[in-house]
Formats: sequence, C-alpha cells, structure tokens
Amino acid sequence: MEFQISNKAKKVTLGLMGVGLLLLIVGFFFQKEYLFPTVLSDHEVYVEYWGEQGEKESDVKAEAQEAMAALGYQLDFGDEGEEHQNHGHDAAEEHGEEHSEEAHAHQSPTFDWHIHIKHLEAEGHDARAAHGHGHDSAPSESLAAMFTNGDISMSDSHFRRFWSNLLVNGFFFFGIALGALFYLALHYATESGWGVVLLRIMEAIMSALPLGMIILVVVFIAATLGLNHIYPWMDSDVVAHDDLIWGKVAYLNKPFFWIRIICYFGVFAYFMNWFRKTSRNQDSEDVEKATASHFLMYRRGALFLVFFAVFSSTMSWDIIMSIDTHWFSTLFGWYTFSGIWLSAMIMIMMVTLYLKHKGNLEFVNSSHIHDVGKWMFALSFLWSYLWFSQFMLIWYSNIPEEVIYFVTRIESYKFIFFAMFVVNFVLPMIFLMSADTKKSWPYLIFIGLVIFIGHWFDVFCMVMPGTLFEEWNFGLLEIGMFMTFLGTFVFLVLKALGKSSLVQNNHPFLEESKHHHG
Amino acid sequence: MTDKVIYAMYDDDDVTKEACQSLVDNGVHVADVFSPFPIHGIDPIIGIKHTRLGIAAFMYGITGLLLAIIATRYFMVSDWHGINIGGKPNFSYLENIPSFVPILFEFTVLCAAHGMALTYFLRNKTLPGMPARNPDPRTTDDRFVVEVRLAENSNFSLDQLNDMIKETGIVEIDEKTIK
Repeated sequence: MEFQISNKAKKVTLGLMGVGLLLLIVGFFFQKEYLFPTVLSDHEVYVEYWGEQGEKESDVKAEAQEAMAALGYQLDFGDEGEEHQNHGHDAAEEHGEEHSEEAHAHQSPTFDWHIHIKHLEAEGHDARAAHGHGHDSAPSESLAAMFTNGDISMSDSHFRRFWSNLLVNGFFFFGIALGALFYLALHYATESGWGVVLLRIMEAIMSALPLGMIILVVVFIAATLGLNHIYPWMDSDVVAHDDLIWGKVAYLNKPFFWIRIICYFGVFAYFMNWFRKTSRNQDSEDVEKATASHFLMYRRGALFLVFFAVFSSTMSWDIIMSIDTHWFSTLFGWYTFSGIWLSAMIMIMMVTLYLKHKGNLEFVNSSHIHDVGKWMFALSFLWSYLWFSQFMLIWYSNIPEEVIYFVTRIESYKFIFFAMFVVNFVLPMIFLMSADTKKSWPYLIFIGLVIFIGHWFDVFCMVMPGTLFEEWNFGLLEIGMFMTFLGTFVFLVLKALGKSSLVQNNHPFLEESKHHHG
Repeated sequence: MTDKVIYAMYDDDDVTKEACQSLVDNGVHVADVFSPFPIHGIDPIIGIKHTRLGIAAFMYGITGLLLAIIATRYFMVSDWHGINIGGKPNFSYLENIPSFVPILFEFTVLCAAHGMALTYFLRNKTLPGMPARNPDPRTTDDRFVVEVRLAENSNFSLDQLNDMIKETGIVEIDEKTIK
C-alpha cells in the first residue's frame, strides 16, 4: 500500500503550475485602474478619477482623443471654464454619493473632466448626419463604454487585482487543507470507523496547509505595510474619517489582528503536525501503544474542534469580512466554514478516485466512495442553506449598512454571483440525489470539479467586490494564478501521500473500515 | 394452500448474517429476517430488492413544493394583491420569491416526511392498531428470526432444511403450518 508520485503526475502538476505562472506573469502587466464616466447627454460625458496617479491625466486624455478620433469625433475636455465648474460640481456630488462606500479616503476625485464631444472638422455635413443619426448609440455612450470596459484606463500602480487574487487563492487553498484537518479531527473525535482507510488521504491534503498560510501571511504583511489596500481599517487616514470603522477599532487594529492571525495559524499548524506525526508513529507501534495513541488522538481531536469552532468564525471575520469593514453578518463564519468543508470533501473525493484508479487503495470500496459522495451532497445543501439564510435576512430587513454588501455584488457581479449560487446548489441537488450517481465516477468527477470551481467563485465573490469594486476583471491573471495554486497544491498533496503507508495499519477501527458497508 | 415454515432464532446480528449466508450458499431461499434493528449488509444476501421509498419521498417533496408555490402565490399575490409586509409589497411573485422560500422549503419537507412515513407504515402493514406480523414478540427486543418456507425450497425436504439450519448458530427453532 505504498504510493509514490508518478512521473506523469509530477509533469502534469508542475506543468499546470508552470503554465499558470506564465499566464499569471502576462496577466500581471494588464492590471487596470478605471475612470468612471457618467453620461450627461448625447454629446456630454462627465468622467472622474479617484486614484493616485493624477500626473497621468494628459496621457489618458490623449488616449481618449485618439480612440474617439477613430470614430470621427473630437473631444473637448472642459477645462477651467465656468460651465465645467458648475456641471462638474453637480455631477461630482451626485456621483460622490453613489461611491461613498468605496471612496474610503478621498472626498473628491483626483481629477474630473467635463467632456464635450464634437465632430471632426474635416468631415462635412453629410458625415455629421450619418454619425448623428446612423449610429445605434450616441457618441457619449460609446465613449462611456470605453471607460467602463477599461479600453481607456490607467495601469494599476497598486496591483490591486494581483493582491486580491492572491487573497482569493490563498484563502481557498488554505481552506481546503484546513477543511481536511477539521474533518480528520471530527473523524477521531466521533470515533468513526468507516473512513479509516481514507484518513491518510486527509492527512496528505492537510499537509498542504503551509501553502495557503504562507500566501495569506504575505498578503497580510503587504497590507500592514500599506503595499495593498485590501483592508480599509488598516489605513489610519480612513479610520480617522470614518465613524463606523472608528467604532470597531478595539477589534480591528493591526497589533490585535496579528495576534489573532498568529494564534490561528499557530494552532492549526501545531495540530496538523501533531496529528500527522502521531499517526505516522502509530504505524510502527505495538498494539497496546497504538491503541493508546489512538485515544490520545481522539482527545486531541475533540480539543481541536473546540479551537476550530471559535477560530473558524473569527478567522473568517478577520480575513474576509473585514474587507467590507462597514458590513457585518453573524452568519458569515458558518457560511465560510461550510464552503471550506465542502471544498475539502471534494478534494478528498478527487484524490481518492485518483488513487483508486491507480490501484493503490484496495480496501476502499464503493461504500466509502458513496459516503464521501453523501458528504458532498449534504454539504452543498448546508452551504446553500447558509448562503440563502444570509441573503434572505439581509434582503428582507433592507438595512442600508447591511444590504450594501449585496447591492455591490448584484450591481457589478450579477452574473457570477447568481450563477455561482445556482451551480453550487442546483447541480449537486439534481445530480447527486440518487444513490447510484453518488457511486458513479463520471458523475462524481464532473459534478465535483464544477462545484469545486463554483466554490472558488464563491470566494471570488466574497473578496473582489470589497477590494476592486466594479473594476474587477476575469482574465489571464485569475486563470493563471488559480492554475498555479492548483498545480502546487495537488503536487504537495501527492508528494505527502508518498511519505507514509496509505493504510493506518494499527488503527483500532481499520477492520471495521475494511468491511464498511453503507 | 398450506405451507410449512421454519423459524430459526438467533441472538446476534452477525451470527444471523453468517447463517443467512451459509443457507443461501447451500441453495436455500430465505423468505425474511426479523430483527429489532436494521442489519447492515443483509439485504443483498437474502435477495431483498432495493427500497423505492426514496423515489416516493421525492414525489411527495415535489408535490409539496408545487402545492406551496400555488398556495403562497394565491394567498400573497392574487388574493391579497400588493399587501405591504416589511416595506416589500407583494406585487410580483418572482420579485418577492426570497420571502417565500422558507415556507416552500418547510412545506416540501413536511410533505416528503409525512408522505414517506405513511407510505412506510402502509406498505409494511404497521399502522397503529394493526396486528403484529412478526413470528415472535422477542424480535422487537434482542432476538433475530430467520424465516424459511418449505414451498419456496422445493429442492429440499423439511428434514434437510431443519438439519441445515441446525448447523448454524441458532438458539431456538420452531416450525409452523400456515394457511
């Protein structure tokens, strides 16, 4: 029952990592910072910019002028004229309200233009008529679309997309390893017998915990040093001007944040190491000693669950919920946890099927696979239940400071936000309801992979609307980074599988698990 | 038509399972097993078909969901058009669907659970007040009974069956004539 990572698996995972890294690097240089247009009339657009790159104003002006020249228009950037002052001021006020949630530090835009669109003089009256009436949309609409699409934009000096994606992937893969650790502890604490033959797979998955931890720590250090602005409460300027955040300073401050993070990661890493070490030692112990080790793990498992019950909630507040600092939800910890647990269960299923396919797991029968399938089905429901509970309560009560969370998501992330929910809820419900599909490899692999990606998008929807607002994008950077993480994670898991026998020979319930019949 | 039935009693679920296995291996058809609790893995041994209760439960659930949709649609949108609850007037069913999801869910579960329980009782003829069909009252306590019918085992004589059963770990054996 030994397993060594095959050359093919090595090539595939490392290849995934390499290609992902390549895409990531290419994508890295296409990060944009957007300008926000408001269409005032067919020939007037108000554009504002809230970032810190005011010196690039003339470059962007030239770019916009060039783009519109191609369509046969000329732009007049309303300079310090009186008209501009009035219009600009009105629009700024109007727009400023809409953006008040996002504009953390800035009271007014860095620069704003009141653009008048004119026809190029070279073109005659005919051309003017053609442009004026022949087009589907007014020139101001086309110009606004260019700003909204990011065709005319600045390169992002803060690399917000990069940092946000690092947080998304770091948390997602950290969550999978943590979910496996949680399930292992649960398995010991409840003295379960059925899954003993799968424990080594859980051990291997939780061994990849440091990957997520290191990435998260990098993100946190960068945030603390001000290299990214993921957590608005870390910016003292923002806190000073924000009563709501000021009220939360007792909990959300840098030193306490770091104490908590060190606490969580220390405890998780300690238990992960301890379980792995004890279980590996158990393989070479005599029966009496091995049984004693088992009961020790049983007690430690229960102890871990106590820590996890508290830490999983507060951890999700600290790492994810505090991005939208004004917002809070008491259900959030559970909602995040259910996603973590489900992703871990899918990973356990996929690794089990892979090893079974390779012929390494002679004791795993269809009942074990059926039971993991049941977990996937049940946890999909737990997740959907919690997602909907959170949504419904906030939607119904409609309290501005709560509902803003869903307003930003529905306004700018409508498709992925709802598609993600429908996929993660309906797909498992329809296809994993029957006992036969929960044992069928093609179904499990297909549904498993789809909802695995679905839950990645769940984390995406938790993070992005709070860090990138409507400036999000999905491209090479996102795909590349996901591939890099997936490749590295699977490589680490397969590598860890080779470090010990695939069966815990001295586990007291091994015999029961071998004869498991669901 | 009369038939001879042998009831073999055991005091352990694993012994019962092994006994059934050995009888089936000898070509005996086991009619039924009475047990105070479900014995995992005995169904395929004595050749019991997989239950269709799950399919029934799904049907009841769908029925409940449809009834609840019709009911909430009628009460909250058609009949009391636009009643304003919590600042959310019910003008359109689709727009207000999140507030109806809890009742849809609960009614689905209610119908599925009750329908399933009633079906189970009816199919097993165990509605409250119905006569008990287990051969020995102790099978609801700590004993397990294997039922073998002579008519279903025409290859064997009654004595052969008795001998084979006695070789397993029985604690009691009983023979009855049924109509």
